Amino acid sequence: MAALLRGLRAGRTLRGLASVVAAPTAAKPPCISLGRGFHRAALRLQDESKTDKPPTPSSSSSTIHHEHYQAPSEEQEPAAAAASSQEDSTSEAASEEASGANTSYQEHSGEQDEEYETEEQLQARILTSALEFVPLHGWTMEAIAAGAETLDLSSASTGMFTHGAGDLVLHFVAQCNSQLTEILAEQNNQVQLGQAEPKRTSEFLRDAVETRLRMHIPYIDSWPQAMSILLLPHNIPDSLKHLSTLVDDMWYYAGDRSTDMNWYTKRAALTGIYNTTELVMVQDSSQDYEDTWNFLDNRIQDVVKMAGTAKQVQATGEAVVQGLMGAAFTLKNLAGVNQRR
Amino acid sequence: MQRAAHTALFDWSNVFGSSMIRQCLKCRVPLQLSTRAYGVIPTPRDAEEKDMMDRILRVDHAGEYGANRIYAGQMAVLGRTRTGPLIQHMWDQEKKHLEKFNEILAENRVRPTALLPLWNIAGFVLGASSALLGKEGAMACTVAVEESISEHYNSQIRALMEKDPDRYIELLQVIKEFRDEEMEHHDTGLEHDAESVPGYWLLKNAIQLGCKAAIYVSQRV
Repeated sequence: MAALLRGLRAGRTLRGLASVVAAPTAAKPPCISLGRGFHRAALRLQDESKTDKPPTPSSSSSTIHHEHYQAPSEEQEPAAAAASSQEDSTSEAASEEASGANTSYQEHSGEQDEEYETEEQLQARILTSALEFVPLHGWTMEAIAAGAETLDLSSASTGMFTHGAGDLVLHFVAQCNSQLTEILAEQNNQVQLGQAEPKRTSEFLRDAVETRLRMHIPYIDSWPQAMSILLLPHNIPDSLKHLSTLVDDMWYYAGDRSTDMNWYTKRAALTGIYNTTELVMVQDSSQDYEDTWNFLDNRIQDVVKMAGTAKQVQATGEAVVQGLMGAAFTLKNLAGVNQRR
Repeated sequence: MQRAAHTALFDWSNVFGSSMIRQCLKCRVPLQLSTRAYGVIPTPRDAEEKDMMDRILRVDHAGEYGANRIYAGQMAVLGRTRTGPLIQHMWDQEKKHLEKFNEILAENRVRPTALLPLWNIAGFVLGASSALLGKEGAMACTVAVEESISEHYNSQIRALMEKDPDRYIELLQVIKEFRDEEMEHHDTGLEHDAESVPGYWLLKNAIQLGCKAAIYVSQRV
């Protein structure tokens, strides 16, 4: 009950912030190809800034090796990508210069050329670097623009992000989810190799939820803003998708292999636990979020108890039915119905 | 220039729409490689294939679950008569099929259909009520259901063969084996006077219509 009140209080603070967020959302460009135009324009501006300092041929040939390696692992290693991105852009500029004309962009833009970064990868890079500016600007287009500028791209490249700050939040959420999946897979490996003891389900889930929520700590001050951005109608499908894959991953690594209604009830329960704990966390002021972890413990115990109670109810029900059948059979015997004359 | 714009539009919507899914999908791929080297389903190459596989497996699982419940209903009524052992034998084969699909679903992290409780009740009621029409009624129900299921498996086999028979060879083997057993049940039903039930044509078509609707819905929900 107290938990519910705390959750409601947090909800009220969110609603206050939602009105603040709704105002500065960027207007969506009407045409899809405008995004591609921005992508091309951003890279052209980047190329022009690089023409002033042409790199030496030796450095460009060595960096080409880097970008061939970089392409497949880009999404898993945002840090490495940011580091090699500078070399990437300089060697791109070199190869474009060698081919001679800016019009070569238009031929390459539709294909996934190995030497050419896809729009998806560029967006991921910009959003990753924008995360540094979130404590300063909050989850807004300013943070994305600042991020783009650190990559030596024009701040007009924020036009690529049609959902505005929602793209930044969703990128962060996706990043956290894949980090969590890596951690859980690693733990799973350890258990399978016999190097670690398997945890009980409730403990495992508790640790998984805590690990995932701790990833919010660097951004906890602006997290209510992020949560309300995720609740905007055009972001809801994506945020629900991320939430459902997160919960599915957690249950999968906890060992759930059910293929009946339990699949749904378990995931619904864990979604409830995760969401309420997240709400408690944003308004928690205790030392190292102790109150939040206590709340999480209690909620998980609730679910465990409920599951146990459900089993007991089922067993009792079966016993009662058996008793009634026995009584009916006895009565039939007494009445002589069962005899064959 | 126009063609570039066309490809740009296509790629952009393709890439950006599935970028989120692909990010999530990327986390799953290493897991599947680390659990079993030889599964019935090959690791999906992209979100589209995963979606197609999910639908196929979901509806097959729902079908076997429903068939299980139908036989359970029939046994509840006719279990102690002469046809009891025959129905029991067919039920045991369906149980094996369901077990296999449970295994495949768990391994490939496929969501089971949310309508399972509905198929639970509907299957049992269908089995029990057809059995109340007597042994011929139960056999007619079996014939109708098994014919629907065989047709459904055949169309899946055709679809997978069209796409890539080598890639899906294990899944095709499983489906072919199950389809052969369902055809056996169908023939058994015909042998045991299914056609002599009054209103056979009506009963058969009504049940087959219900099966088609169930298949359509289970793929999506």
